Amino acid sequence: MVGKIIAVHSYKGGTGKTSLSVNLAASYARRGKKVCLMDLDFRAPSLHAIFKGQKAEYWLNDYLNGVCEIDKVLVDATKDHGNDGKLMVALANPSTEAIRDMTAKDRKWEMKALGRLLSLRSSLLTDGGLDYIIFDTSPGLQYSSINAIVTADVVLVVTSLDASDINGSQRMTSELYDLFEKKTGILVNKVIADYLSSEKEQKKFDKHIKSIHQLPILATIPCYCEVLRAAGNFIFTEERPDHPFTETLDELAAKVEKF
Amino acid sequence: MAAYRKLEGKSTQLLEKIRENLEQLNAKIDVMIEIQKHGQRAIPEDLPEALDVMTLLSLPDHLRKTAVTLCKLEEATADAVAGQTKRARAVESGYLNQLVVMGYLKKERRGRKAYFFVDKEG
Repeated sequence: MVGKIIAVHSYKGGTGKTSLSVNLAASYARRGKKVCLMDLDFRAPSLHAIFKGQKAEYWLNDYLNGVCEIDKVLVDATKDHGNDGKLMVALANPSTEAIRDMTAKDRKWEMKALGRLLSLRSSLLTDGGLDYIIFDTSPGLQYSSINAIVTADVVLVVTSLDASDINGSQRMTSELYDLFEKKTGILVNKVIADYLSSEKEQKKFDKHIKSIHQLPILATIPCYCEVLRAAGNFIFTEERPDHPFTETLDELAAKVEKF
Repeated sequence: MAAYRKLEGKSTQLLEKIRENLEQLNAKIDVMIEIQKHGQRAIPEDLPEALDVMTLLSLPDHLRKTAVTLCKLEEATADAVAGQTKRARAVESGYLNQLVVMGYLKKERRGRKAYFFVDKEG
């Protein structure tokens, strides 16, 4: 069976896309899957800060620029994070110069970048034998994130309970995900514990969220102080395998597998 | 018997040629319809246009599906595109030719088959 490409996206920044992408990738690796996590947030790269010390010959920027092939970009993080599976990482260049360069690309370049992203399906999934590619995208309607969405099989939309975030996510559903006929699921992140205090409250909350988004709710993730305290310094689900956050992420991984 | 087989082979070749000519005719009619619909000015003079994601978003649904499929396949015949979109070959042929007229795709005839692709080099 050929693997899947998952794009983790959101309307606004700060919703927890990177944290969820990293922990979802780690969850798949724990389940013995071969995963590749890619930083497609070229305006604010962040995976390099989590996978410290992992250095590839080239950045993902170089692959999209046509400078190198994807194998020169991938870092094998299996030794430190692979568990039973395999975890590869493709990092975006965090230098100011690289960010400036990526924001100044023209339409023609973006068209070629889409082609390079689309070809990952054959190079990494079909030929490379990977089970999942996870794109950590930039928020909102930007070229790099839309390229990622067009390439993906599944889009996971991370949303908070902020009114503007909910409104923006709704618009993106009708004006972006639907137009590209993408399988889309909602991840409600940083939910206040009061909403999930009992099974009855949780059901009421889930029904309310479903009525807003009209899409499958794949996970409702409470706001855990421990996760916030980790501050992205380590992969939380690896350090705390018995924490409820890890359990939620493992359930999410299983749902996406069947989605 | 041998003479019959030879005759049958010739008929097949003839039918194939007719089919090919009809397809070419169909493509030309599509182009004419497109020109009539949008006027000559609708065809970009500075060909080719970039088929980027913002352009894909601006296309009508039926053309977007065809264009996205071709982006995925990189280069394909109308038959191959139809295999992915589950729409009729003739329908896809019409849509692909419309995209050619609009300047987003290139078309190249190789033998009996017409191949469509995104011109990335411009």
